[in-house]
Amino acid sequence: MGGAFDTAVESAWCPGCGNFSILNAVKKALERTGKGKHEIVLVSGIGQAAKLPHYVDANVFNGLHGRALPAALAIKMANPSLEVVVTSGDGDLYGEGGNHFVHNIRRNPDIALFVHDNQVYGLTKGQPSPTSDPGWTGSLQRSGVISGPFPPLTVAIALGCGFVARALASDVEHTAEMMYQAIAHKGFALVDILQPCVSFNKKNTYEWYRKMAYRVPQDHDPSDRQRAFALSLEWEERIPVGVLYRKERPAFEEVHPGVGDPPLHARQTPEDAIRALIRKRVLDLP
Amino acid sequence: MGIDINIRITGGAGQGVHTAGGLISRMAVAAGYHFHSTQDYMSRIRGGRNSYSVRMMDVPARAGRADADILLALDPGHLPRFLPGLHPKGLALSDTSIVGEMERVTAAPLKELAVSAGSPILGNMVGAGIVAHALGVPSSTMDQLLALEFRGDFLEKNRKAVRLGSEWASGRLTEAFRLPPAPFRPRILLAGNEALALGAVAGGCKFAAGYPMTPGSSILLGLSTDGPPLGLVFEQAEDEIAALNMAIGASYAGARAMVATSGGGFALMAEALSLAGMLETPVVIALGMRPGPATGMPTRTGQEDLDFAISAGHGDFPRMVLAPGSVKEAYALAFHAMEATEAHQVPCILLTDQYLADTTVDVGPEDLPVLPVRRRIVRGAEVPRNADGKYLRYALTENGISPMAVPGEPGITIVVDSDEHDEEGHLTEDHGIRVRMEGKRARKEEGLAADTLPPLLSGPPDGEAVLVGFGSTKGVIAEAREILAREGVSVAAVHLRQVWPFPTGAMEEILSRYGTALTVENNRRGQLARLIRRETGRQVAGTVSRCDGLPFTPEAVAKEAKERLWAAHSTRR
Repeated sequence: MGGAFDTAVESAWCPGCGNFSILNAVKKALERTGKGKHEIVLVSGIGQAAKLPHYVDANVFNGLHGRALPAALAIKMANPSLEVVVTSGDGDLYGEGGNHFVHNIRRNPDIALFVHDNQVYGLTKGQPSPTSDPGWTGSLQRSGVISGPFPPLTVAIALGCGFVARALASDVEHTAEMMYQAIAHKGFALVDILQPCVSFNKKNTYEWYRKMAYRVPQDHDPSDRQRAFALSLEWEERIPVGVLYRKERPAFEEVHPGVGDPPLHARQTPEDAIRALIRKRVLDLP
Repeated sequence: MGIDINIRITGGAGQGVHTAGGLISRMAVAAGYHFHSTQDYMSRIRGGRNSYSVRMMDVPARAGRADADILLALDPGHLPRFLPGLHPKGLALSDTSIVGEMERVTAAPLKELAVSAGSPILGNMVGAGIVAHALGVPSSTMDQLLALEFRGDFLEKNRKAVRLGSEWASGRLTEAFRLPPAPFRPRILLAGNEALALGAVAGGCKFAAGYPMTPGSSILLGLSTDGPPLGLVFEQAEDEIAALNMAIGASYAGARAMVATSGGGFALMAEALSLAGMLETPVVIALGMRPGPATGMPTRTGQEDLDFAISAGHGDFPRMVLAPGSVKEAYALAFHAMEATEAHQVPCILLTDQYLADTTVDVGPEDLPVLPVRRRIVRGAEVPRNADGKYLRYALTENGISPMAVPGEPGITIVVDSDEHDEEGHLTEDHGIRVRMEGKRARKEEGLAADTLPPLLSGPPDGEAVLVGFGSTKGVIAEAREILAREGVSVAAVHLRQVWPFPTGAMEEILSRYGTALTVENNRRGQLARLIRRETGRQVAGTVSRCDGLPFTPEAVAKEAKERLWAAHSTRR
């Protein structure tokens, strides 16, 4: 191939895994940004999906399970000129990291979030994830999942996420397009990527996703929050793929006092300024 | 004996105990004296029983005192609780019009005068006016001090309340507590947590995050107040887990970063602490201790997290744990923490507690040395590259420390992973690399040990006994030692300002010079005593322990130390 972001690192994924398509889409989307590898930071948590950053020649922060977003937020705050992309799994981002998912949508940092949503925990060998369909039997739920599924797009729209999209891992071009738009969006952008797990999810297969998925209608106005909300609720009969909701609002870095140029690593601590800070505290009487 | 006057104000939350205590502290400075103030408050927003003690001295004050010379009870209902702590020659003031006359209590019309001044909530200021008179602080000085805090109509009301209190006291109260004239010195009134935050800012901290938790919150307040003019960015995290992961992310991007919390929040941070160990990311964690387990006593003090601080986090990794013993040391060690965490690329914990957090003293600008910040990030041509032109974040080096570059550096990428990783930072399951990386991380311990701050010894260089403490007990132990010396008991005192890596050699040497060692600890089980035994093989003779949620007082430490030393000596005979 010889793409700009290719690496020689050996992959740890199963043959036929949806992650390969997602990796190709990530590289395509990054190439379209025209940015250099040193300007991009890929952040992930733990899981098979979370290994993706290692297979891209860019800056990598592969942190703890569930904690990709807090690290990503701070990297963006420390240096807003970096393109920060979080790419990790559904268990990682919706389960273990659910609280950070909620609160970073509220903050609205200019971060693109790609969730490899295969509705199963792969690396730990087949337990249900927050998005598993009710009734699905996992290795720890032999009689089937009884909890309702976590609806990521619905939650994101409810929280006012400015870019909410869904993609099918098998459709690399469209996934790359969604990813590129998410990166280009100024503010927090979610792309939930339906991804088959060939080893542990025998229900939500390539075939099943292809059968269920349909493109968001051309006449859908992505700024129509009510309609986007309704679309996001579709799952049982058919699953809309594409941009469901889009609305710009000021990004966190733009409104946070203090975040901006120069990046934090370049900020000085002049001794005179510290002395002035100390002097200011002196209780003196005229 | 010089001047030593302890003034205690008590009342419910919302009655202005804190405001009056702050004003009386400033009175001490205005009169040319030193002070040491401590707070004891309940976990609530209104009501309850809080106290604020201001000890005025003609020498720098290092600790609070158990007994009060002047007791100002804004709520007379608290008198039964606080009167036993009044010095036999002390003065107790309260508005007893509601509860009727009480023995030893001077009835003061706080409420009536407050209403005359313009608001019933000004009883605290009427009381402060009475105290001002008792100390001989003139009204003009009080007017100046009040102008530092209030503005407009409210300033005038406060001034009037203070003046009415002072006038009422004039002629009614003796001048037993009149402060002899002393030259005024401009001073800084600084609390432990304020000093800690200031030291971190002086140490170049540029990113701070946290989730409010007493007694860590006031560090966050300090960072978010003093930091922004120096380029620090602060973010309130959704939880403590996010806070530390954020700080680690910021540090990866090249910012000096810190978080502040208490035991429960630190427990949530344990996994990220281990991450900092694995990523070798510099980060400072301020841990304000309070009594546990679990929620424990949220607003009270304790030293129960020593074991936890030195062992929290899964896996083996080097760290530093510093334990400031005074307001000045909180500043100095916070600065040191910022420098050392980056120099050694290990997480650094600053172990403080509610007592030190809320202790306010007067310091001079010379007590807060301003030192150059030395960044160790490699940039541009300094960035080492291998034969393939790659930068290796985890390059194997002799001292275990790999040059740290930050993302954005053209031509290279910075790869970090919580999994075991190779020199480049990529995930590996190679056992040989694993062993080499463990070795690299472990080698940093040698540098850490060499840079360990030695314990501070005061008193006779050898002798019968030595008292050993860490962190906030420094001043109390120093005074206890002096009390014992006056009583003819010669003991030395050792203050550990760094508890990890443990200064093993220095402690072995010190302990070998004294017959008996006692630890003084704000916990029940003697965590420091056990640490000393583990690291030096030496068993101390006992522990002066307090675990009721309150700080030690010098008198109590001296008394119990004497008893324990006596018991230890009898046993030896």
